[in-house]
Amino acid sequence: MTILLKETVQTIAQSIGINNLPEEVAEALAPDVEYRMREIMQGAIKCMLHSKRTTLTTEDVNSALQLHNIEPLYGFASGGPLQFKRAVGQSDLFYVDDAEIDFKELMDAPLPKAPLDTAVVIHWLAIEGVQPAIPENVPLEAFTPSVELKKIDTLLSKKKDDEFGVEVKLPVKHVLSQELQVYFEKITGLIISRANPSLIKAALDSLATDSGLHPLVPYFTQFIADEVVRNLDDIDLLFSLMRVVRSLLINPHIHIDPYLHQLMPSVITCLVAKRLGRKSAENSAPGRKFIDNHWDLRDYVANLISFICRRFGRVYHNLQPRITKTLLQAFLDPKRAMTQHYGAIKGLAALGPRVVGLTVLPNVETFLKHLAPDLSMEAQRSEMKRNEAMRVYGTLLTAIGVCMTSRLKYFPVFFLPRTWNPGGQGKIVTARRTVVSNSLSDSCTVSQLTNTSPRKTTTSADAQDSQPMEIECIGHSYHSSMSTIELPSQDVKSDAKIVVDVSGMDHSQHQSQDMARSREQVEPSDSDKAIFPLSDSWKEDVTLGPLFSSLIDLFGEALLPFVPRTELNIFL
Amino acid sequence: MEEEQIKNAVLAYLQKKGYRQAELAFQEEDLKSTSSSFKTDTDIANQILRYSKLDNVPASYKEAYSKLRNWVHSSLDLYKHELLRILYPVFLHCFMDLVAKGFQQEARSFFQNFKDDYETLHLRDLQKLEGVLSSDHLQEMELARSLRENKVTVKMCQFSFDLLLQYLHNTDSSLMLGVVNEHINLQVTPGQPTSWSDDDMGPLLGKPQEGVSEVNTKEIKWGMLEDSLEDKAEKELAGEAEKAEAEGKEAEGDEARKKMGEAGKAKKLKKDKVSGTAGKSLKTETTSTNSGVPRVKSELPMAIFSEESERRALDDLRNRARLSSSALPSVSFYTFLNTHNSLNCASISTDGAMVVGGFADSSLKVWDMTKSTEQHSSFSSVRLWNIPLTANLVCYKGHNYPVWDVQFSPVGHYFASASHDRTARVWSMDRAQPLRIMVGHFSDVDCVQWHVNCNYIATGSSDKTVRLWDVATGECMRLFTGHRGMVTCLSMSPDGRYMASGDEDGAIMLWDLGSGQSISPLMGHTGSVWTLDFSCEGSLLASGSADNSVRIWDVIGSLKPPRIEEKNAIRRLRLLKTLPTKATPVYSLRFSKRNLLFAAGAFNPAKKL
Repeated sequence: MTILLKETVQTIAQSIGINNLPEEVAEALAPDVEYRMREIMQGAIKCMLHSKRTTLTTEDVNSALQLHNIEPLYGFASGGPLQFKRAVGQSDLFYVDDAEIDFKELMDAPLPKAPLDTAVVIHWLAIEGVQPAIPENVPLEAFTPSVELKKIDTLLSKKKDDEFGVEVKLPVKHVLSQELQVYFEKITGLIISRANPSLIKAALDSLATDSGLHPLVPYFTQFIADEVVRNLDDIDLLFSLMRVVRSLLINPHIHIDPYLHQLMPSVITCLVAKRLGRKSAENSAPGRKFIDNHWDLRDYVANLISFICRRFGRVYHNLQPRITKTLLQAFLDPKRAMTQHYGAIKGLAALGPRVVGLTVLPNVETFLKHLAPDLSMEAQRSEMKRNEAMRVYGTLLTAIGVCMTSRLKYFPVFFLPRTWNPGGQGKIVTARRTVVSNSLSDSCTVSQLTNTSPRKTTTSADAQDSQPMEIECIGHSYHSSMSTIELPSQDVKSDAKIVVDVSGMDHSQHQSQDMARSREQVEPSDSDKAIFPLSDSWKEDVTLGPLFSSLIDLFGEALLPFVPRTELNIFL
Repeated sequence: MEEEQIKNAVLAYLQKKGYRQAELAFQEEDLKSTSSSFKTDTDIANQILRYSKLDNVPASYKEAYSKLRNWVHSSLDLYKHELLRILYPVFLHCFMDLVAKGFQQEARSFFQNFKDDYETLHLRDLQKLEGVLSSDHLQEMELARSLRENKVTVKMCQFSFDLLLQYLHNTDSSLMLGVVNEHINLQVTPGQPTSWSDDDMGPLLGKPQEGVSEVNTKEIKWGMLEDSLEDKAEKELAGEAEKAEAEGKEAEGDEARKKMGEAGKAKKLKKDKVSGTAGKSLKTETTSTNSGVPRVKSELPMAIFSEESERRALDDLRNRARLSSSALPSVSFYTFLNTHNSLNCASISTDGAMVVGGFADSSLKVWDMTKSTEQHSSFSSVRLWNIPLTANLVCYKGHNYPVWDVQFSPVGHYFASASHDRTARVWSMDRAQPLRIMVGHFSDVDCVQWHVNCNYIATGSSDKTVRLWDVATGECMRLFTGHRGMVTCLSMSPDGRYMASGDEDGAIMLWDLGSGQSISPLMGHTGSVWTLDFSCEGSLLASGSADNSVRIWDVIGSLKPPRIEEKNAIRRLRLLKTLPTKATPVYSLRFSKRNLLFAAGAFNPAKKL
């Protein structure tokens, strides 16, 4: 009935030395105690209001006690909340867990940092009724008047204009002050005209730090979108634009969230566009390099995208999945140009090793197969194309390597090089390119061989095994909490199919190698276990050993720098 | 069957009342006449049954009340809000009846069941009453006692009244009828039912409401102070204008000279507009707005200013920026940083050069914007400080409880204080004892404010009223009711005619001192209003609140005489501008003599958990 039970009263009575408080007395006291407590709390609220605060403090309660001529509670206030503990053997008795503090300890402890002293600062809240956009004021559009207020306003305007008028919603006016217009023109002019770098740097600094730029954000996003589309061949301008994007993103006074969807296409374009910068033929200007260095731009943009995902990923849950999807499509499509592949891999790598593990790793073999012709001297004549392919290969290697490093960091225990076969790599020469082409051509020939040769029973069994795995793969991508990627189901299926093929090849490759080289090193059971490491690689708990070894098979020694020292000595 | 019930009811009644002999006699009688000997009238039987039910079952309160509530809520919209007005008092009295009869548990559950209906309007009262669990508490608590001892007046139109009576009779809810009869004074007003906004039910006052109208008829001289600086400034300006007129008289001809004495102002106004100097037209308009205000001589001896300070003040007046609904003021904000939630109050000097903060550890800190000094004060006393000396000059003791507010009079060496001991006191600086004690509020006096002509002080209290007192006699001159919570701040318009008051719920009321009527409520703030100030010519009102905003309201626009249409048209003060601050509740606002608005508050960023 009352908040205070009579048992509570009895307990309190016991604590002050009245051992046998009759039940009736306790029962009569309980409501009165509650009433007094409420009285004191109301006094405390009054004190709080007079202190112009909205949170009740213990000092308020003490003041209220003093108001009622009751002795206040003495003692030291503890910083944290009180810890109540249940008394042993009692179901409803609690006590404050008061830790004993050693006095010496307290004395010896270093003095806590002194709190900052109170200070007064002045700023203009409004100048002739208009709030200046300075950091001390609330950002302009962040503040929305309460619904109630709006109602009153509309009511008033109705009253004013016409007693029975219909409520007319006026189109939202977006007034840009003269200063802002000039500012916008100056900045855009600077960027387009490619003035000297120090000026542009100053402009970017201003964009990154100044408050009150918020009204310009839609104009800037539009400007960036337009210019990116118009000037895909101008690498310097694109670079400047991306720097503008970065500045806008890091400005703490701008709420860029609503405009993010307009910015993202331009940014992604700069990452995975087929051609950025001028064609080499047009580059006749002396002093210029062979080709515009669009690789740097792609690197920069990849970092920018990872920054965006980190900053806004929490607010927009589908932001990163969507970016990943776009990039993955570019990565998986064999028809895309090398530059696009480069951008896609770079972008995925920038999103972190986990994303790489989920997207790139399962498809790496297919991709390498596709890449192989461009890498080899014989198949690809054009020096430039080969150069591009090498870059793609390099970035892929880095991405996979970083991914592996992070995995090794988390699962060092699983790392056991089961199918590591030093003999297999015996003929690798020191020059990397030849190594790669060798191993690749090697694997290609092997796979051709295995394709023609009749399969063994184990492989067919494994192929059957792979069927349920494919389904699991689809299911997993939807259910697992860690996988942020949503692949369209067709994609998954096709991936899985590819993977099945690949793994089949992989397996046969192992076997052929095994047959060719030392049989005693690798037991057949081991090779059975290590059949499909890559297709499984998106799983977190996958055994790293076989996975790693197959990667080594693919990439050769180049992957070794990514292996931490302790793990590395296993190879030696 | 029925007879058995009746017999039991009668027996129970006799037992309860302690009529031993009657009980015995009744039992004897009962035994003698074995069965259907007494043929009772069905009407009487029903009455007896109902009586027994009513008296013994506390649940009947709940039942009857919820029936009434349902009926009111399902009644026609036209009459609904009038009928709604009686629900709250009925609810309170049902609850208190239950408590008085000792049904603690039932009272509590009744309260919990229905309190949601009233929480938006009467939260504080409900919080107070919730704890009441025994009849002792009812006696002890001010609010409950005054509620039980006095009738609440509820106005309703004839038709609503008839509806209510009909309902109460038809449904045999004599219980509710009893409550209404006992505690509510139904006032039947002729004509159509009044609208929503016109008067929602005011606070349930302890004092019978008839007193209010009586008090409010007393005559008040609300004009500006005679011979004040403003007065002088006006004269001086008039002199200047005359000169200007004299210069231009050749062109204007001789008639101008004739009229110059009285109608000079209008002419000059025109002339200034032609000449186009902003400063001049500004001055003339300020003078013209105040010219219609009567002058009142102060009954208190006034201090005499030095020549120099007077000149400076006049200078300020001359350079005052003119504010109106189209010309909003500039606001300079003083933010206290790192206060750790310990700033209790803040004040800014009129020229904005000094700002003082009062802290929870009883220290005062004065910032001269360059150097800072510290001072201390204590509980339940008022101290006078000398800022140049940073020394405490006098300690005025007199209040028995904490002092909530102190204000200096606009002119002279008087000040007023408001305290938890339910009094306001007027002091003179040279005496250690108060000159007048204003007694009358039912609860703490939370804020105090001087009238511009120094003859009156206004006090706002936790009993949700604002009172105006005559300083000379100590008499209560006006009683303003309408707030729904504790009155937290007051402000007087510079012409002395209007007063604004803000409360803890965020409402601001504007009152006409002459008539004692509320002019318009200002809704908009979502947190307690901590501070209010009128601009120097009285055209704007600035309010600062716990909801981290400064709002600027148009006073003149809302004072315009109501259009002829209907007297109950919604008239609200127009909100001109909301200036949000960055997590800084506004503690203090002040218009400078030149109409620059100063605001102060403590930056209190939300803690991340």
